[in-house]
Amino acid sequence: MNYGALVFLGAFVAVSLSWFGMVLSPQVQLGRQTQGTNSVNTAELYPVQRPGLAREGLEVYRANGCVYCHSQQVRQSGTAVNVILTDAGTNAAAAADALMKSRAGVTDANAVGLSAGLPKAILTDVDVDRARAAVEALTSAGAKAEIEIVPVGTDIAWNWGIRRSVAHDYLYDSPVLLGSLRVGPDLANVGARLPDANWHYRHLYAPRSVVEGSAMPAYPYLFERRPIQGQPSPDAIESKDGFEIVPTSEARALVAYLLSLRADVPLFESPVSVEPPPQETADTNSAAGTNVVSPQASASAQ
Amino acid sequence: MDPSLLNAPEADEMEPKKDVVPVWLIVLMVMLLYWGAVYFDRQGGWFSPQVYAPYRNLEEVRAYQPGGGAGDLFELGRSVYGQTCVACHQANGLGVAGQFPPLADSEWVNEPEPGRLIRIVLAGLQGPMTVKGQQYGAATMTPFAPILSDQQIAAVLTYVRQNADWGNKAPAVTPEQVAAVREKIANRSQPFTAPELLSISPAE
Ligand code: HEC
Ligand code: HEC
Repeated sequence: MNYGALVFLGAFVAVSLSWFGMVLSPQVQLGRQTQGTNSVNTAELYPVQRPGLAREGLEVYRANGCVYCHSQQVRQSGTAVNVILTDAGTNAAAAADALMKSRAGVTDANAVGLSAGLPKAILTDVDVDRARAAVEALTSAGAKAEIEIVPVGTDIAWNWGIRRSVAHDYLYDSPVLLGSLRVGPDLANVGARLPDANWHYRHLYAPRSVVEGSAMPAYPYLFERRPIQGQPSPDAIESKDGFEIVPTSEARALVAYLLSLRADVPLFESPVSVEPPPQETADTNSAAGTNVVSPQASASAQ
Repeated sequence: MDPSLLNAPEADEMEPKKDVVPVWLIVLMVMLLYWGAVYFDRQGGWFSPQVYAPYRNLEEVRAYQPGGGAGDLFELGRSVYGQTCVACHQANGLGVAGQFPPLADSEWVNEPEPGRLIRIVLAGLQGPMTVKGQQYGAATMTPFAPILSDQQIAAVLTYVRQNADWGNKAPAVTPEQVAAVREKIANRSQPFTAPELLSISPAE
C-alpha cells in the first residue's frame, strides 16, 4: 500500500503547526518591539545599544561558555503593594477617620498611631484597589501617602534584580544569552550589583581570591603576565618580582559586557516603584567588592 | 470438562455496544473545553506583549503602575514636552510668531476629540494653516511616530491639553487612542496639511 501522500501530509501538518507556534506567533506577539516603546516615568529611551566594547564582550562570554553556568533572567512570582504614609497632615484624627471609613479595610487607626514615626508603611501587601482607596482617603483628609509597588520572588530576594526580566530588556542582544542552568548567580543585573571592574578582573583571574570556596572556574588565559616596563600598569591585578598580570583585550571586553548587564529601568510591563535616589553614598562605594551598591555608583564606575 | 463451555463466548467478546462514547463523556469534554476557554481568557493576557506573569491582563498591569491614572501621564508629558516640543513651541507654549504656532489656547489643541492632534504629532504637519487668527506655514513640523511611544504621545498631548497655565482645558488622551490612530495611518510617509486634517472627523 502506498502511504506516501499521508506521510507527507502528516509531516507537513507537524512542521507548519510548530512553525506557527514557535516562529509566527512569537513574532506577532513580540516582534514589533522597538526602543523606547515602554519606558515609564521618564522620557528616556530604553534599552540602549551596548557600547562597542561590551558587544565584543558578549562574544567572549559566549566563547567561554559562561552561559552554561549563569542565567540572565530574573523571575518574579508576585507583587506586593504597600501604602507609605509620608505626612499625617495637620489633622491626624481626621486622616485616621477617613482611612477607617474608606474601602481600604482598615479597622483601627488612631491619630497618635498614625502620626508617629513617619514615613512608615501603614498597609503592607494589600490589594491594589484597597491601597488606592486608602491613598485617596488620606489625601482628601489632608495627609500625604504613596503607593509602593514591590515585585517579590526568590530571584528578587536574592538581590538579582528589582523586577522581572521582560523581552524588551534583550532587544539589542543577539543571540540572547538567557541561560538555563544556575550553577552560579543570575547575571541579568550584575552590572548594577557589582560595578567594580577590578573586582571582576580579580574574580575572573582567580575566583577563590575574592569569593571563598568559589566553584567558578578560573580564566587565567584571559590575562597576560609580562615584565613591568617603567611604571606598573594601572589596571594590573597583581605585580610581583618585576612581573605584572594585566587583563587582555578579551578580558576587558568581557568585563565591559558584564558591567553593561543591568535591567533595572522601570517598564510598563513590569511595574515597580523606584525609590528616591539615596543620599550621598560616595564613601561606602569605595569599599570595592561589596555587593550592595547604589545605582549612581555603578553608573559612574562604567 | 463440560464441552458446552468450549463454545461459550468470552465475556468481553459479547455484543458490541451501540453508543461507543457515552453522553456523559461528551458533556464532560464540552465543560472542560469551556472551562479552558474561560481560564485562558482570564489568565492568558490575550497574547499582549505587555502582559507578563504574575499579571493576568492589561488592566491589571495598568492598575499596578506606581503612578497610575492620568495624573502621572501629565507629569510624563511635561518631561516629553521639555525634550521634544519645546524647541519650536517654546516652554510657555506660545510658539514663535510667524514660524511656530502657539499651543496655548489654540483651537486645534482644545478640540474635544484628539484625532487630529494625534495625527499631527505622529505624522507631522506642513503647509498653510490658521491658528488663533494668525497665518502659519513657513515651517514644517517633523513626524514623531518613529521617536515617541504611544504612552509618550498620549502623555505629551495630555500635558498640552490640560495645561491650565496655558489656558487649555480639554480631555486627556489615552495611549489606546494613539495606538488606534497609529494603526490607521501606518502607511503614511507625508506630513498632514491643515485642509486634509479638517476633512477628517476629530473623533476618528
Ligand atoms: C562551572 C560553572 C561556571 C562557569 C562556566 C562560569 N561561572 Fe561565574 N560563577 C560560578 C559560580 C558557582 C559563582 C558563585 C561564586 C563566585 O562568586 O565566585 C559564579 C560567580 C560569578 C560572578 C559573580 C556574580 C555575583 O553576583 O556574585 C560573575 C560576575 C561571574 N561568575 C561571571 C562569569 C563569567 C564572565 C564567566 C565566563 C567567563 C563565568 N562566570 C563562568 C560558576 C561558573
Ligand atoms: C521642528 C519644530 C517643531 C517641533 C519640534 C514640534 N512642532 Fe508642532 N508645529 C510646528 C509647526 C511649524 C507647526 C505648524 C505647521 C504648519 O504651519 O502647517 C506646528 C503645529 C502644531 C500643532 C497645531 C497648531 C497649533 O498650534 O495648535 C500642534 C497641536 C503641535 N504642533 C503640537 C506639537 C507637539 C505636541 C510637539 C511635541 C511632540 C510639537 N508640536 C513639536 C513645529 C514643531
